Amino acid sequence: MSLAERLLIARLKERDGRAFDEIVGLYGDKVFSLVYRMLGNRHEAEDVAQEVFITVFKTVDGFRGEAKFSTWLLRIAANQSKNRIKYLSRRPTDGGEIDDALEARAAAGTAGSVSRAQIDGPDLLFEAAETEAIMQRAIAALPEDHRLLVILRDVEEMSYQEIGEITGLPEGTIKSRLHRARMSIKEELDRHTK
Amino acid sequence: MDHAQAQSTFSDFVEGSLPERERLEVEQHLAACIQCRTELQSFRRTVGSLGKLKRTAPPSFLPDIKQQIYRRSHGRFFAPRWKLFGRIPFEWISLATIIAMLVYYLAMLHGTPSGVHPAP
Repeated sequence: MSLAERLLIARLKERDGRAFDEIVGLYGDKVFSLVYRMLGNRHEAEDVAQEVFITVFKTVDGFRGEAKFSTWLLRIAANQSKNRIKYLSRRPTDGGEIDDALEARAAAGTAGSVSRAQIDGPDLLFEAAETEAIMQRAIAALPEDHRLLVILRDVEEMSYQEIGEITGLPEGTIKSRLHRARMSIKEELDRHTK
Repeated sequence: MDHAQAQSTFSDFVEGSLPERERLEVEQHLAACIQCRTELQSFRRTVGSLGKLKRTAPPSFLPDIKQQIYRRSHGRFFAPRWKLFGRIPFEWISLATIIAMLVYYLAMLHGTPSGVHPAP
């Protein structure tokens, strides 16, 4: 952990409001993105991602710096996402996933990922949004531990070491589960494109 | 090497973490197998597309969190400040008050007292 990060955490432990702003500024997008892809629903993702930072604010005194702060934070995000998935699975569905597929199409114009499509025209824009919706459904169909691995590695582009620290899994297990998850998403994508 | 064996190495192959000998075996298989080449192409496209799924938090994210903490802590943290004093540091207000009092004192010291006449 860098000196700057240690100082920032020390300020956060003193409940410095500006330190909290910096923490949310630094990690807000990463946490939101992880939670959003885990849950596949924007409304739920906003709620859980907010809860993650509230938990950080409440429990930062318990952070002893043994792991990187980002690792500790993303572990909280992963656990809270899993808890919400369990909670939602016990409730009857309200069509949130359908809303999100539509939202993915609508959001395609604002997502950085489709800038090429924006240049090339509405057809590619629509295609990129369709692909995103298919991928989100394929991710949602994975078991939650496979889902977490594919998000951490392929969406958030984290190293195997960081993923191991967050999930507590050995590298070999991460790699084999990740490969199965990727193949499963590939098959789903192939099924829709053929 | 058969199709299943080749495809089970795709992750390591794409990430470049396959041992040299195995990598050569996969490459040999790919050179001769159009089915696995097509599968690999699709696999690469999938992994590449996953990298484009990042999302950013909404603009109201930070204010919403602070509001929640304010509410749950019963106003102990992130209380909304009164606008004027939220922007002007208290040190400046103190300094301005001291200067104003000093000016008033000096004015009183050197000014001509009015309505006071010396005793006859």
